[in-house]
Amino acid sequence: MTITDDAGRGPDAALGAEPIGSGAPGRTASSPRARRHRLTPGRVAGQVVLYGVLALLALVYIYPFLVQVATSFKSEQEAALDPVSLLPQTFTVAAYERLFLHSDFPLWFANSAIVTICVTLGRVFFVSLAGYALARLRFRGRAVVFAMVVAVMAVPTVVLLIPKFLVLKQIGIYDSYAGMILPLLVDAAGVFIMKNFFESIPVAVEEQARIDGAGTFRVFWSIVLPMARPALITIVILSFQGSWNELSHFIIATQSPGLTTLTKGVASLASGQLSQGTQYPLKLAAAAIMTIPVAVLFFVFQRRIVNTSEGAVKG
Amino acid sequence: MPATVAPAPPHGGLRVRRRGGVRRGEGLAGWVFVLPVIVILGVFLFVPVLMALWVSFSDWTGRGSPFSGGVRFVGLDNYASLTTGGGLATRDFGTALRNNAWYVVLVVPLQTALSLLLAVLVSRRMLRARGFFRTAFYFPSVTSSVAITVLWVFLFSYAGPVNQIIAWLGATGPNWFQDPRGILNLALGGGPGPAWLADSGFLGISWWDWLSGPSVAMLALILMAVFTTSGTFMLLFIAALQNVGEDLTEAGMVDGANGWQRFWRITLPQLRPTLFTVITLGLIGCWQVFDQIYTGTQGGPAKTTVTPAYLSYTAAFQNQEWGQGAAIAFILFLIIIVFTILQRWVLRDRPVSRRRMRPYLPKGVRS
Amino acid sequence: MRRHTAVTALGAAGLVGATVIALTGCGSGFDEGSNPTGSSSAASLTSSDDPLTVMIGSSGDAETKAVQDAVAAWSKTSGVKATVVAATDLNQQLSQGFAAGSPPDLFYLSTDQLAGYAGNGSLKAYGDQLKNKDDFYPSLVQNFTYDGTFYCAPKDFSTLQLVINTGLWQKAGLTDADIPTTWDQLAAAAKKLTSGKTKGLVFGGEYARVGAFMAQAGGRLVSEDGTKAEANSDANVQALTYVQQHLKDGTFAYASDVGAGWGGEAFGKQLGAMTIEGNWLTGAMGDYPDVKYKVVELPAGPAGKGTLQFTNCWGMAADSPNQKAALDLVEYLTSSDQQLAFSKAFGPMPSVESAADTWKKDNPDLVAFLTGADYAQGVPTNKGSADVISDFNAQLESLKTGDVKKILDSVQQNLEAIVK
Repeated sequence: MTITDDAGRGPDAALGAEPIGSGAPGRTASSPRARRHRLTPGRVAGQVVLYGVLALLALVYIYPFLVQVATSFKSEQEAALDPVSLLPQTFTVAAYERLFLHSDFPLWFANSAIVTICVTLGRVFFVSLAGYALARLRFRGRAVVFAMVVAVMAVPTVVLLIPKFLVLKQIGIYDSYAGMILPLLVDAAGVFIMKNFFESIPVAVEEQARIDGAGTFRVFWSIVLPMARPALITIVILSFQGSWNELSHFIIATQSPGLTTLTKGVASLASGQLSQGTQYPLKLAAAAIMTIPVAVLFFVFQRRIVNTSEGAVKG
Repeated sequence: MPATVAPAPPHGGLRVRRRGGVRRGEGLAGWVFVLPVIVILGVFLFVPVLMALWVSFSDWTGRGSPFSGGVRFVGLDNYASLTTGGGLATRDFGTALRNNAWYVVLVVPLQTALSLLLAVLVSRRMLRARGFFRTAFYFPSVTSSVAITVLWVFLFSYAGPVNQIIAWLGATGPNWFQDPRGILNLALGGGPGPAWLADSGFLGISWWDWLSGPSVAMLALILMAVFTTSGTFMLLFIAALQNVGEDLTEAGMVDGANGWQRFWRITLPQLRPTLFTVITLGLIGCWQVFDQIYTGTQGGPAKTTVTPAYLSYTAAFQNQEWGQGAAIAFILFLIIIVFTILQRWVLRDRPVSRRRMRPYLPKGVRS
Repeated sequence: MRRHTAVTALGAAGLVGATVIALTGCGSGFDEGSNPTGSSSAASLTSSDDPLTVMIGSSGDAETKAVQDAVAAWSKTSGVKATVVAATDLNQQLSQGFAAGSPPDLFYLSTDQLAGYAGNGSLKAYGDQLKNKDDFYPSLVQNFTYDGTFYCAPKDFSTLQLVINTGLWQKAGLTDADIPTTWDQLAAAAKKLTSGKTKGLVFGGEYARVGAFMAQAGGRLVSEDGTKAEANSDANVQALTYVQQHLKDGTFAYASDVGAGWGGEAFGKQLGAMTIEGNWLTGAMGDYPDVKYKVVELPAGPAGKGTLQFTNCWGMAADSPNQKAALDLVEYLTSSDQQLAFSKAFGPMPSVESAADTWKKDNPDLVAFLTGADYAQGVPTNKGSADVISDFNAQLESLKTGDVKKILDSVQQNLEAIVK
């Protein structure tokens, strides 16, 4: 689902200087396209205003994160007295020390990592299986299953807060890693994305493999799945982001302190009884470290995220 | 061969063999493939909804199984105590609805407009560092709501950067997250409202309170919501803008339309599907706001940031009113459905009216 | 092909059916035989080798450490393992634990939560089986008696009194003779102490502090026997009007208005020269060693001296598998010596009368808190009162600009719904 313009050029060209659709032949030098390239004072002013507005907006969007990192390196008094500055007068790692040595932060990080990795791997596997089955395999009740998947996407999370807790307790996996991971293993939106993707792959290759005698799973695993790399990466990104940032599910699924994840832990830092007073450097340091993995993922896969935005539904 | 035999299939008997040979086991494989999805979605999404429905119609107090013998069916009692009961439960529910309604009314238009603006700016033809700007605007959407809320509480604290910057501009910022005054109320001078508004009400809240707008604390949360979601929707608009053909816009230019008219009359209508998606997603998301309240304000100050989702959680997990908590969740579900349908109806493709069409019809057809 | 379909359809139906049966029938998580009233009957205590979990709502590191040390010492002598868990949100974690059928064995239980949990059978009433039952203050025992049964042992108690920053006091030219004993004197002292960023009197904007003024005016939220709602009495109106007046003229302030999380923080950061707090303040003031302070009795209002009293008890879960050991632990933790040790560590006063004299001797500066016990009022204990009080708190936050009568009328209405 990459964005290309009519001439089939890549995303950069689509977003680039060339007007879209203007690759049609026959345009003369006196066409609007050539006219636009002359720099008039009006154009210059327009560009200046454009860059000015964009720069201001970008500053508004970036500044909070810069101030977050800066404050995490300040002492508490300095954070209260001089919150705006981006350079601490006395650079101190006291907040990080407290976070890593005197609290359960490493445990939270480990729990989040375990859950996220398991959920991401599981989700990729199950969702692609189901997406392939719904797209390619003919079996009775396929339409019903698909309808169920779509219907489930409509249920808001808030309705599930209380009853998921009850179900987890009934099954007996409350307050365990299984309880944290299992319910997140499947994501209706993911099934949707994979199904759409598989439907867009030509059938010829599969048919050939079948004629050669491969079983269904073999066809799926060795032939179709490798072709699905772009969609799989999308699922990986969405799953990672979704499970790393998940909060309400972990609130209702666990109660023992040994199973606290980063989201639950940082939330308790911000609001619970452990946070008397205004220890901003500590809280901001925790929030900053929490953001690093998703930020890294974001920067690595940036192009992909932007290009598949049309199909991705933010969880 | 006898004449009564049906005509042979095109490939002789090969078709049957092929179905048995190549497609053999496909039905079973299909079921096996979707089994994990069905089981997990069924057990953790479908069954819980049914269970919650039962709990909302029962008087389960939180001890033992909700299906045990001691739990009675009480019909619509829980729903009644929330809507017509008139006591504290009704007032809390009314407050939650009011807070969330103002949140939706402000966040959805703001985030749609802002994300559209950002998309238009970033899609301008001659722009360097396009990738940088796109990244900058999208980055907040990637972070967790917990992390952003922690950051926001710091930014908008009494002695935080925002108030500091406001002080540079000469004014004094309010104590954002502790200030329960409604902003409309403040704009109109504050104080108790006129008797005809203050004495009657709906769901236990007087009309004056309904109209007092979001509190200052809620306003900070609204700004946070716009900040975090405008990036995602900006990407959707960028993708849609790329699919808008240049031809129509150039035709408009030739016809003498200025930039603003071109945008409003030509580009925007072509963005209708994306607009619809963005507004729907926005509505659904806004009515369920929970994480930010749990992390940042826990409903305060003075219950002005309580939302139905948060109320459902506190009613069940803190006050052990499980039936009421479940009932709140289902009423919220209904509200979301109603709003989605309403919005779909408002933005539907209406046939062009005759009056509008007249200038474009061939001479003979004009009435 | 038909047989194939039938097989798959049957298989699917069977699977769904099995899931449903498994969920409703064999739910291993829930206690099937737990009879709501049966298990809280007095005599029988469960006994087993299971370790104990103790959940506390800690006021800080000092309290957590003190409780952990005490429990560890008991573990060594009794041979039963026990762990202490400091909750981040005690009410929510308790509630979730009870609903999930796996609550902690012992936990802090506040007066307003007692009615709810006792009513739905979550608690074990062990009060009458305590060896030191007669040592507890009668008013505290009363607080933890529900439906005629003494449920749990009070673990300590505190009262509210006035805390003065002696440094700022002297700087403003005030002496011991100026220590306020009436409302007017309090207002005058607060006025003298208000300068710049410091307000004269700073306290939390909630019933748990403002209620002290109500007590001094002779008002209560519910009658002493808990059967009548008295929120909108003239006395309460008088008290709230007094507070409102001084919030308006800037000599009193809420902690949140000056940018602090609670009165103690405002006092420690010297954003307030006086505060109204309880015994726990001493533990928290360890974070602000530069502030020298003095505890005096709150001034008398129109009806004389009055203050609020707070207490928690050691709740025991009815589902606990080792209640005998838990009872032993409670007796250890509420013994005179152990309570005095707790008091030294994080502040509150022992709930047993036998420790009173020793405590007075050890804490001559804090005697005012203990004296307050003579005339202190408890907070309402009716089921549902916690909700009403948090609604009251929400309205108190806008007391400065609000209508006193309207606020109290709405509280009255809410209380009337729960006292019957």
